[in-house]
Amino acid sequence: MGNCADVVIVGGGIIGCSTAYYLAKQGVSVIVLEGSDHIGNGGSSRNGGGVRQSGRDPRELPLAMFGIKNFWPTLSEELEVDCEYHQDGNLRLGKTEKHKEILEGLTSRAAAVGLDVRMIDGDEVRRINPYLSKEVTCASWCPTDGHANPLATTLGFYKMARRMGARFITGEKVAGLKKVKGSVRKVITEQNTYEGETVVLAAGLASRKLAATVGIDVPMQPVMLEALVTEAEPHMFDQMLGTAEADFYGHQTKHGSFVFGGSSGLEGFTKDDTALQANYSLTAPCICRGIMKYFPDLADAKIVRTWAGWMDKCADGVPVLGRAEETPGLVLACGFSGHGFGIAPVVGNQLAELVVTGKTQVDISALRYDRFRAKI
Amino acid sequence: MGQVNDRSRDIGAFVEAPDDDMVICRCEEITKGEIRRAVHDGMFTLTEVRRYLRTGMGLCQGQTCAKLVKGIVARELGVSPAELEPATSRAPMRPIEMRVFANEAKEGE
Amino acid sequence: MKRYDLIVVGAGPSGLSAAIEAAKRGLGVVVFDENEKPGGQLFKQIHKFFGSKEHKAKIRGFVIGEQLLKEADEAGVEVVLNATVIGLYQEKEVVVRIGEEIRRMKGDAIIIATGAAENMVTFEGWTLPGVIGAGAAQTMMNLHGVRPGKKILMLGSGNVGLVVSFQLLQCGCEVVALVDAAPKIGGYGVHAAKVARTGVPFYLSHTIVKAEGDECVTGVTIAEIDDKFQFIPGTEKHFDVDTICLAVGLSPMSQLLKMAGCKMEDNPRRGGQAPICDGYGRTSVDGIFAVGDVSGIEEASSAMIEGRMAGIAAAEYLGYIGKEEMEESLKSLDQALDGLRQGMFAPKNRGKNIEKTEEGIPVSASLLKRGFVAEDEIGRFPGVTRKSGVHPVMECTQNIPCNPCQDACPKNCIRIGEKITSLPVVDESATCIGCGMCVASCSGQAIFLVDEGYGEGCASVTIPYEFLPLPEVGQKGVALGRDGKEVCKAEVVSVKSIPAFDKTNLLTIKVPREYGMKARFFKKEVS
Repeated sequence: MGNCADVVIVGGGIIGCSTAYYLAKQGVSVIVLEGSDHIGNGGSSRNGGGVRQSGRDPRELPLAMFGIKNFWPTLSEELEVDCEYHQDGNLRLGKTEKHKEILEGLTSRAAAVGLDVRMIDGDEVRRINPYLSKEVTCASWCPTDGHANPLATTLGFYKMARRMGARFITGEKVAGLKKVKGSVRKVITEQNTYEGETVVLAAGLASRKLAATVGIDVPMQPVMLEALVTEAEPHMFDQMLGTAEADFYGHQTKHGSFVFGGSSGLEGFTKDDTALQANYSLTAPCICRGIMKYFPDLADAKIVRTWAGWMDKCADGVPVLGRAEETPGLVLACGFSGHGFGIAPVVGNQLAELVVTGKTQVDISALRYDRFRAKI
Repeated sequence: MGQVNDRSRDIGAFVEAPDDDMVICRCEEITKGEIRRAVHDGMFTLTEVRRYLRTGMGLCQGQTCAKLVKGIVARELGVSPAELEPATSRAPMRPIEMRVFANEAKEGE
Repeated sequence: MKRYDLIVVGAGPSGLSAAIEAAKRGLGVVVFDENEKPGGQLFKQIHKFFGSKEHKAKIRGFVIGEQLLKEADEAGVEVVLNATVIGLYQEKEVVVRIGEEIRRMKGDAIIIATGAAENMVTFEGWTLPGVIGAGAAQTMMNLHGVRPGKKILMLGSGNVGLVVSFQLLQCGCEVVALVDAAPKIGGYGVHAAKVARTGVPFYLSHTIVKAEGDECVTGVTIAEIDDKFQFIPGTEKHFDVDTICLAVGLSPMSQLLKMAGCKMEDNPRRGGQAPICDGYGRTSVDGIFAVGDVSGIEEASSAMIEGRMAGIAAAEYLGYIGKEEMEESLKSLDQALDGLRQGMFAPKNRGKNIEKTEEGIPVSASLLKRGFVAEDEIGRFPGVTRKSGVHPVMECTQNIPCNPCQDACPKNCIRIGEKITSLPVVDESATCIGCGMCVASCSGQAIFLVDEGYGEGCASVTIPYEFLPLPEVGQKGVALGRDGKEVCKAEVVSVKSIPAFDKTNLLTIKVPREYGMKARFFKKEVS
């Protein structure tokens, strides 16, 4: 097998896998290079599974709305895997006046773009989810939001893309990109060189140093996020949950276990060792205390695992997406800032469309790579 | 590990076996056949099999089935079990109630 | 945050040993164990250990456990029980669950001694209630006084399978068969022989086809396998059993080490995933040590020495002793460990096909295949001699590191010599007084006293006997051969139990003279 394809995708996470899938589906030849030993080993397998529109920045909201309307409802059938997609709404919870202000701001901005999202009071919150404690006094409620299983979805995209002929190579550490006659064409790894008409850079945090090899900088930094999962519990609720300060999020899975993410307050200041992705000892207890304030009934649920992952936090909190016009051949898809999972199917689909037709159905121009400006 | 692993390499076709119904991961009730099929769906590492099927993700955290799954996956791939990296070890090493995990002893006690 | 010089995880033989040596050298040491009792597996071990007298040979495992606890207490080691270490985080931070809370603390050094977990094998019906691990059976019998079942089939002929089979017999179970897929018995021949002589059949190159039963195990079918581990049709054998016991090896419980970022390797010779460490348990992470089964499956005797070494190395690491003192302390332990790692079952010989003993004597093929030395083989071993009058017959035919018998004889009838693995030799010039100390001293229960001139055409055979109730003098029954088959009628002529025998009773039976070199067990009922 040669090392040339129409498209070389750097990064075998859910963005790389879904892009590969939609490309392969149209008969485009694809090679996906993943540096770690496993497909979907970064944020794709470490996130909380939210498939949300509410709470998003208006610049990426159109993508999220398009994805929830057109991709998620049929994704399990399409990928022949149970993605465990639930469209039972998202409650973004608040306890204080300050929370209420944050939530009202998010809600009005999203409603202005056409999203069905509204503020509700504590009683209505508990009518939707009777397990929530009295501490919750308000929430934003978006009934068309939901959640899904990130592991199954990522590996489902991989499985189908592979079945359609996309070539995946793991343990292939990319060292840099290389231009040929003015266009990015080559992907240099520690041992090999790959070549494509288009190179899609979807390598999460590593994207920054790889983009730099062709003179492009994406301002993002690593922030560690941690999550935990309980043993299977009897079914309680189907909504996706979050908070005004985004310090706690989660849902009950089809399996019955609860997946919750949260923070300790030291995020961004943890030890920078991207290889280890080691939990901080003080985070999980903190998440537990947080959960119990919202859900006193879960106090006896047993935690079976905790994990940590790096988020590629972009300077302005939304991803960098699309072609870098000044550098032909290069498509950027990185900096998802901790909320890439829910939009991964539509991002893959739109990037495939961009590669094949040169255009996208959803306007992604607000996510251009060169949007960053000084504040004054 | 850390080796280049081409996921398009030919591992042969999936052939049904009489013991495919046998439960291997008791906590999550995953059968041998499901594990073998997952390998043919491209899950070439124990971590991927685990994430795809939930093998070893139950209460016992793979204490019982990890070696069994490893043997099945290795055989399907035609490699030695020792070549397959076991899944990551994650705290807590034993399941622990949320209220206990939340309850950190105060300093000096 | 609370900080200790040394935090040890696991209060089994290696962890306690490490803690003792470190505490003796001035380190502040705490040991956490998730169980309600310390000692790890030691308190399940009711048999006498092999080894040299300097290293706890012929002492029963649980007694060694008691001795270690006492030693730990004297050294000032803090042992915290019901304390589950749930994680080993960065900067050697340990999070431990104690009761209804968690405690976070740091160790300047950490010694992981978490032991091993039992392996499983799959076959049709393996998830039925009644299929249990050998370790579980031991826990039931020896810690909780519960009989695991009535009729039991044991899978696995390593030392665990052999020792637990014998314990099952001791607690009144019927062991219908001892089965192993391997073509040869994996454990010590003497352990196999003491099971075989009670009448338990061995099926090597066999494995379980299926466990039968709807709600729980009611039977089991085994069959012979070929060299590709495929069942040979027509070789199926059925047994009615209520319990199937699996003794198919152990895997290191090394998750804490992996979590801490220690470099690991997957090495079948060490039982699975184990940390890469040097001879004193130092892992790739500075200040983190691993000892005992978690760093490779071995015997408790070597685990205790490994533990002591790591405890000393940790003391040096933290500056409580100098390098020279460390090296001096390690010297004798190095030698002891080296001694234990000699012989046919040494780690370096795993998987090798050994045809002759160190003395050049062909090994017993029957012992490896059927669990007992055949009649036409037994005479070639140096411990097996015939002479007039009472004398010891030592059916010790494999080179294992064990020598208490030579010190047991007050008349110096038994000689092993400098090399601890040598087979015992009878000194023809010394005179046996029939005291039986050697019989009781043999951890393998392989020494018998035989007197082929007992009178009236009879021979007397004194056998080690660890079953209750003890037969009484005058009781009639049958003698069984090494193969567990009846050889002749027998009558009990003496039953001796003195404290020095440490509960290995000496049963002397009278048999017709021609059976003196054949009768090796006594059964009360005539079947």
